[in-house]
Amino acid sequence: MWRYIKWGFSITVLLVVGLFLHYTLPQHDVVRIVNTYQERQDLGDWTRIFWSTPDDQASGLMNRDVQFIQAIGADGKPMVYRNEDTGWSWPPYFKFDTANLQTEADDLKSTAETPRWAMVTHYGWRNLYFSTFPNAISIRPVDDPTATIIPWFNIVFFVILAIILLMLRRMWLQFRERMLDPVAQDVAEAWDGVEDRGEAAAQKARGFWGRMKAWFGTFKGRPRR
Amino acid sequence: MIGFLRVAIFALIGLSVIYWLVSIYKRSTERERLEKHWDKNRPVAAPDRDAYIETGMAEYEKSLRRKLIWLVYVVPMAVVGVIIYIVNVQ
Repeated sequence: MWRYIKWGFSITVLLVVGLFLHYTLPQHDVVRIVNTYQERQDLGDWTRIFWSTPDDQASGLMNRDVQFIQAIGADGKPMVYRNEDTGWSWPPYFKFDTANLQTEADDLKSTAETPRWAMVTHYGWRNLYFSTFPNAISIRPVDDPTATIIPWFNIVFFVILAIILLMLRRMWLQFRERMLDPVAQDVAEAWDGVEDRGEAAAQKARGFWGRMKAWFGTFKGRPRR
Repeated sequence: MIGFLRVAIFALIGLSVIYWLVSIYKRSTERERLEKHWDKNRPVAAPDRDAYIETGMAEYEKSLRRKLIWLVYVVPMAVVGVIIYIVNVQ
């Protein structure tokens, strides 16, 4: 029973952390830019969490214009990115160049007959049912749409994350070895002392009635101490 | 601007906590290293174990290794600077 609860808990935590990282970390697509547009978006419901908060003014707005980049992937599937500043808020991309990015995207527009491929770095999820869009971070032209992209940033990120986790573990072990264990040992020793003394005192204080009680106790089948 | 201040303040608090934890940890490992070194070598010049360790700790507090913990502040700030450059300028 407890085992299943523990497993369920661990899996839930792992899932939440994994989804969080998958949403936040950058990903790369090779696409052909088709068009860009701007559309007023309502921000009043719970999907607010998927839109950026580009500046402090924006946090109080119920709706505002958002820029979008329409693209067709190298595999032929459509993809729509939003193009929003992240500013100083989460996630920490510190993106301020939305207008420039829109210009670059406009510049890279091409048709199916004469495609110009571009690599879009983005974070976030495209979800049709909740109308969420990944946020484009940067666009740069590429020659070969089939080239393998090595996610250097994510590799470095996970290596550093692993180092930090190992460091935390070592710090905790060091703390336990140097701080908690000696205290626990002292307490255990002190406690043994108290118990010994207590026992001696009890033996001494037992007296006649105590001995009688202990003797009666033997009838109940309890071991005599 | 308020956004920048918010990030700066939270980063300062977070990094200070990390700095504090790391300095305690490194102090602890340094003390442990000194203890083990004394126990193993029994330096003739330093017959008193506590004095040896305290001298070593005082030296450590002035050492370069101690000062390198300031990288806890420097590295993340540099990383943020590089990210801002790569995302917006390049």
